[in-house]
Amino acid sequence: MMTTRILEWLGRIYVWLLLAFLYLPIIIMALMSFNASPFYQLPFEWTTDWYASLWQNDQLISATWNSLKIAVITTIICVVLGTTASLALFRYEFRGKKLLQALLFPPIAIPWLITGTAMLIFFFGVGIGRGLFAILLGHVALALPYVIVVVSARLQTFAPELEEAARSLGANQWQVTNRVTLPWIMPGVIAGGLFAFAVSFDQFVVSYFLSTPGQTTLPVEIYAAIRKGFTPEINAVSTIIIVVSMALMLLTARFFKFGGEK
Amino acid sequence: MRMPRLTALLTATAVFTTALTLAASAAEVHVLNWKGYGADEPWAIAAFEKATGNKVVNDFFNSEQEMLTKLRTNPGLYDVVMINAAFNDQAMSEKLIQPIDTSKLPNYADISKDKAGSPMLDHDGKVYGVPWVWGLTALAINEKSFDKPPTSIAEMWDPAHKGRVVIRDDAVEAVQFGAIATGQNINDIKDMDAVKTKLTSLMPQIKTFWSSENDWNQMVASNQIDIGTYWSGSADRAKTHFKLPVSLVIPQEGAVAWLDAFSIPVGSKNVAGAEAFINYMIDPKFYVEWVTKVGAPVSANTKAVEALPEDAFNRKVMGDPDVAKRIQFQAPITDAQREAYLALWQQLKVDVK
Amino acid sequence: MAEGAAASRGGLGKALPLLAPAYLWLTVAIFLPLSAMVFFSFMTDLPLTGKPWAFTLGNYAAFFSQSLYLTLLLASLRLGLEVTLWCVVIGYPAAYVLAKVLKGRSREAIFLLVILPFWSNGLVRIFSWAMVLREGGILDAALNAVLPFKINIDLMYSYPAVIIGLVHSYVPYMVLTCYLTLQAIDDSLIEAGRSLGASRLQVLKRVIIPLSMPGLVAGAALIFVPVVGSFMEPRILGGRTGTFYGTVIEDQFVAVFNWPLGAALSFILLAVVLVILAVASPVLRRAA
Repeated sequence: MMTTRILEWLGRIYVWLLLAFLYLPIIIMALMSFNASPFYQLPFEWTTDWYASLWQNDQLISATWNSLKIAVITTIICVVLGTTASLALFRYEFRGKKLLQALLFPPIAIPWLITGTAMLIFFFGVGIGRGLFAILLGHVALALPYVIVVVSARLQTFAPELEEAARSLGANQWQVTNRVTLPWIMPGVIAGGLFAFAVSFDQFVVSYFLSTPGQTTLPVEIYAAIRKGFTPEINAVSTIIIVVSMALMLLTARFFKFGGEK
Repeated sequence: MRMPRLTALLTATAVFTTALTLAASAAEVHVLNWKGYGADEPWAIAAFEKATGNKVVNDFFNSEQEMLTKLRTNPGLYDVVMINAAFNDQAMSEKLIQPIDTSKLPNYADISKDKAGSPMLDHDGKVYGVPWVWGLTALAINEKSFDKPPTSIAEMWDPAHKGRVVIRDDAVEAVQFGAIATGQNINDIKDMDAVKTKLTSLMPQIKTFWSSENDWNQMVASNQIDIGTYWSGSADRAKTHFKLPVSLVIPQEGAVAWLDAFSIPVGSKNVAGAEAFINYMIDPKFYVEWVTKVGAPVSANTKAVEALPEDAFNRKVMGDPDVAKRIQFQAPITDAQREAYLALWQQLKVDVK
Repeated sequence: MAEGAAASRGGLGKALPLLAPAYLWLTVAIFLPLSAMVFFSFMTDLPLTGKPWAFTLGNYAAFFSQSLYLTLLLASLRLGLEVTLWCVVIGYPAAYVLAKVLKGRSREAIFLLVILPFWSNGLVRIFSWAMVLREGGILDAALNAVLPFKINIDLMYSYPAVIIGLVHSYVPYMVLTCYLTLQAIDDSLIEAGRSLGASRLQVLKRVIIPLSMPGLVAGAALIFVPVVGSFMEPRILGGRTGTFYGTVIEDQFVAVFNWPLGAALSFILLAVVLVILAVASPVLRRAA
């Protein structure tokens, strides 16, 4: 089994190479937030000035808050609407169910460039306009299908007999849902919520077409900065975001262990 | 889900949603301009805010096209917009900007007469733009790549610089640059085919198209380019403020000159604040500080230019009659011309694929 | 089963209140906008600007009469194809190692590490590459420090730079979808194949790849579709080669203000993407 060993070690090395490919630019980006030169010139000169000036940058800070707020609201709305819809799709049989399930596909499958420009035209045309509210409308629509798909997948593992049993013991519909079904699908709901948060927080294209000056999200602000004048402040804010989101993700992983176990 | 918990969730959502709606205060001046172009200098904003009590909110554009679209799609949002005089006519005819009451601008009297009286800014006896600064789209070089500065525009086509040349991603500017390279009048291009051939042969030389000052400066900082089209004020800033090895070359064939002016968009909610801001921007005190600290093009305010030292670039070189002979000021272009330029530029960009 | 049947008969009535909010939202924010886009694409001008407008086929005629849009669409499709292929080549082996070689905690940790970049901002990752790739940038400096001879690596503002940036952004999807299907393959199947005398390659070809096909196809779709519509990555990394179908659409909306033409170009892209997905879906279903 010598060859197996060698192959396995080659595999391991390969995975580490992939990780290097994935992380190298991120690490460099983070390092450059501590470099004094505004043009990322080497040699490296240590500074924390960019972090200090970040706190003075009202536009970047307000965009960051907008991103967080929109992501949180998107998550809440998607979890509520998505879970109820998944329960309905799971519990009831009716004509047109297949079609409804198929309709979840377009928001995921259509390039965001198309969805984003379509929303721009429509919202502009009917007077919803652009801005944070429009961005929220768009984000929920993009994230909702993910939540429904993830929660439905979890529901597939649920035995409907459990609900029957609870009902025969005299529980009403609310009690059944609340005591039996929801606890079972909770991991799916949380995973769906995380998905919704990630989709919204990282969403650029749709926000880009729907934002107005002053009502933008962080990715839009970063794109504007890249195109109109980039300073390492952007690296600083990204470094903070990455550290925070990775810490969050690791914490969640400790509690919910996705992917690890069979 | 238990009812109270659901209610709590919904309430939380409602609270968050209300938190999303921003209240705009009346004492804000929303300014639309290029990034890093005077109006967003922190010291200038601080001084203006202290003097007038208005808060400045900056927004930026990447091209004149984008500027116009921002005005079109955000009516009522901006109070001040910086428009190249050659585009003033278009903005006015689309009803994007309003006449300015120059009696509210004490510094307006000091604007040089030929600039203030420009037919590009005044329509039907009304002033639609207040001249701010003028400058050139000339060449700039990376000093590390040249022993002595070139004198001819032909340097851009020199195979020695293959892959190390930049030009701005702008249809009008590119075509007018091509006109100069083919010895034509930029405002009356007779031989478009010559321009096209000339620009086509430039394409393989090009590293990238720049769209902001920052692009240019970063590429010089990392020594990626030798030469390219650049704005005179930006070259000055790159040298003075950012200490980059950049110098401006006004080629013997000539250069494109432009006049930048401030306008007040239709629907501005703070016209008084806008007037105060424009007046501050054309003030000699602001200008001198801008030139000294950061670097800038030439002010349209004669007193402001006189306040500079005799040997300042903006007096010595830009005021040189020999230079004045070589440069051609941009005039407004018609819709048909604009479309033709845009189509040509798009085709050139696609042909490199 | 009688009860189940009873439940299903009155199903729609009971399901509707639960489904309505979600689907109403999707209608307002996805389906109506898409219909509006089709409608707008047949107009001469936006009715909003107060200018006179009429119905026209001109926007579509513009696409077919000028070779430039078709050239760009093909370039974008090629970009999507190349990026997808690289993601398969790079991502699939990694997914295999994760699913079949690594065990326990180290698998969990590495899996998380692969997924984590997905949580960092995509724009910033693209920009980081600009720093790595440019001449005198990190890659150049690092290689010249290690190698005895002088080399010049200047990938910034080139087609390869766009590919690298996009592969970096999208390869975690491929790892994720392939990992999920590979993990579901029973190890004993592979053992059985080996003990029957099949070589490693034969097992790979006959057992592992066919069984993980759904993951591969799903991953490919998840990558191909957004890459065809990408505009931000080519803009930042592509330089003079950075003009693609997506950047032209962006220009119509953000700069040139020709929304009807932008809508027509978007709709053509949508049609092309749907056709491609339709062709791919039987493969997906058969594999599943």
